Amino acid sequence: MQFDRQIFWEALTSSTFAAGAALTIGLAVAAQAAGSILGLVVALLRGSSLPPVRWGAAAYVWLFRAVPTLLQLLFVWNALPQLIPSLRDPWFTPFLAAFLALSLNESAYMAEIIRSGLASVDRGQMLAGKTLGLRSDQIFRLITLPQMIRVIIPPTGNEFITLLKLTSLASVISLRELLTVTSQTVAVNFRFAELYAAATVWYLAIVSVFMVLQAQLEKRYQWSSRERDVRTMPVFARVAAGNR
Amino acid sequence: MSGSQPMIAASEITKHYGRLEVLKGVSLGVERGQVKVVVGPSGSGKSTLLRCLALLEPIESGSIVLDGEDVAWQARGGRGERSLVPFRSQLCMVFQHFNLFPHLTALENVMIGPVHVRGVDRKEARDEAMALLARVRLGDKAERYPHELSGGQQQRVAIARALALRPKVMLFDEPTSALDPELVREVIDVMEELARDGMTMIVVSHEMRFAHEAADAIVMMDEGRIIEEAPPDRFFRDPTHERTRRFLQLAEL
Repeated sequence: MQFDRQIFWEALTSSTFAAGAALTIGLAVAAQAAGSILGLVVALLRGSSLPPVRWGAAAYVWLFRAVPTLLQLLFVWNALPQLIPSLRDPWFTPFLAAFLALSLNESAYMAEIIRSGLASVDRGQMLAGKTLGLRSDQIFRLITLPQMIRVIIPPTGNEFITLLKLTSLASVISLRELLTVTSQTVAVNFRFAELYAAATVWYLAIVSVFMVLQAQLEKRYQWSSRERDVRTMPVFARVAAGNR
Repeated sequence: MSGSQPMIAASEITKHYGRLEVLKGVSLGVERGQVKVVVGPSGSGKSTLLRCLALLEPIESGSIVLDGEDVAWQARGGRGERSLVPFRSQLCMVFQHFNLFPHLTALENVMIGPVHVRGVDRKEARDEAMALLARVRLGDKAERYPHELSGGQQQRVAIARALALRPKVMLFDEPTSALDPELVREVIDVMEELARDGMTMIVVSHEMRFAHEAADAIVMMDEGRIIEEAPPDRFFRDPTHERTRRFLQLAEL
């Protein structure tokens, strides 16, 4: 059997594959966003002055990093509805289950990345903020956050790419993301090479786009007067400068 | 208001880190428009004193009165940190390592206080900040980021950033000791101008030329105490305390 370019091309440009890719991107972006916010909260709790709070946050990171992502996904989809009856209703879709599991999983990794990002901000920055009379919430928002973000962009980019591929695990709970639609199409025509190649091209394209976005984001966080253009400044820098 | 009422008066401040006593009852008063320079060997408590006066560290006992108002941050009882935040901008500190915000331009560094602390609108804050940068002779560097400036330029931006809060007292913690020798002068020039313009200043520094020309008094600290305070002429020519004499000799001042 030869590689049939026609089949490859049709699969690549099919609306089924495009919809699968869209679901993959949507799930990854949503889980990354939720995981980052939750990770920030966990990272801040790890720096709490109350020991039980610190331990709780550390235990959270330990749990969600130790258990395999696939097991977390199966747990949320199969076990949780047994424990919580309301999750048996139709609104609890595979997408929601995958979003929940991947967000929790991602938040544990993001908590560690954000923790190191926060630690990288020089203590003198906080002192300078204090002596200017800024409140602690202003110091966090205007000074710590933008400096932390610059540090965490590269590891977060790594995380996002990993997450993008982890969405394929959701094929086990029948979410129609990119790998699921590939497998389902293969089951019909057995054209493994052509369809796997089409899926590969989609993953490559998606990751490439996000790599370009990451590079642009890093450029904006260079803080160099040559790169400076107020309209393209990141929102945190604009807020810090008092821009509306 | 009497002219002799001090702008800032610390009395009998004590401070310890764990079992280490860093300040053992320090009293220091500075009148409006006066400049006092604090010297002393490392570990004598100079920087800690300054951080306590700047309300960046709580004190164990004693009082700090700013322009008639008790503002001391007490480790136990008394005012809590939150109620002191509004006073910090009136006691603005300039740091040894500048501590400019690296993600903001020189102009934005100077604007952050007026916009977010004083609540000035953005356009007015910008004009004010430009005027302050011009005053420290950096009008042409407004759009530069800190890492694009020399140490001396960074410290002058830091001074402008503090001035933008219109502080009642400025505290300088070894403002030139992180600078290359050829950059010290430009910072000292700005500080001498401030002193001439009537800014109330407490300066921890070993820049003796500044002490000679701008200080109303020099304060010698040793082991957590002020052991001598005198006008510059007398301080250098005829120090009363044996410890001061040895310090001046060793420091080759």
